[in-house]
Amino acid sequence: MRRTMIVHIACVMTLAALLIGASGCAVVKPWERDTLARKDMALDSDPMRATLQNHIRFSKEASLPVGGGGGGGCGCN
Amino acid sequence: MEHRFLAVALRRGLATLSVLALVCVGQIALALGSGDPAPAFKLPALEGAGPIDLEQFRGKVVWLDFWASWCPPCLQSLPELEKMRQQMPAKDFQIVAINLDQDPAKALRFLKKNPVGYPSASDRDGKLPGAFGLKTMPTSYLIDRDGTIKLVHEGFREGDIKTIRSEIRKLVEARP
Repeated sequence: MRRTMIVHIACVMTLAALLIGASGCAVVKPWERDTLARKDMALDSDPMRATLQNHIRFSKEASLPVGGGGGGGCGCN
Repeated sequence: MEHRFLAVALRRGLATLSVLALVCVGQIALALGSGDPAPAFKLPALEGAGPIDLEQFRGKVVWLDFWASWCPPCLQSLPELEKMRQQMPAKDFQIVAINLDQDPAKALRFLKKNPVGYPSASDRDGKLPGAFGLKTMPTSYLIDRDGTIKLVHEGFREGDIKTIRSEIRKLVEARP
């Protein structure tokens, strides 16, 4: 009896967790992008600065970033 | 005993998931297309006296344009639409814009720099796009004199205005 109670509670809690989890999923509709479209909401708010920093990093480290690029070391490529 | 209990729990779980799935399906809005009646609306004007009611333009060909200040192609389309409006007969044609900015001040700032001669309604809560089933921004609807959607135009690229103008002209010239 006690075991069935535990199973019952576990089922209810799993369902509750599923419901709470599902409520967290939201699709942003095309007309709801107001805040997301803000410049400061971008993953990279300044692409030019990011490119320059990337260039400096791979030049100094003689390693290539994910974005690619030839050479390394002198920073002249 | 325990197996029976598990079966009941499983059935209940499945029932709950089915209800969830039904709720999700219910939220999927169907996009309106050519031949569908345009949903009626009455919204406050973005500037000036309101409200703006689609019904007040019945008898005219209407270009209903959904726009927002955060949407670059929308901003590109507004001056082009204004130029086109000036070339169309006012008694037969009307542009009605629906602004979807949460902060109308941003839209007003843009309109101050790029004034247009057609009304913009403000739909801050974004209820009307759902009724139309918008799939992208901007989207515009060509509505005939009887309130039926004749064309859905999604996005705005350079050169689109030519197609838009010719479609509107066809409808304006097809007098009732």
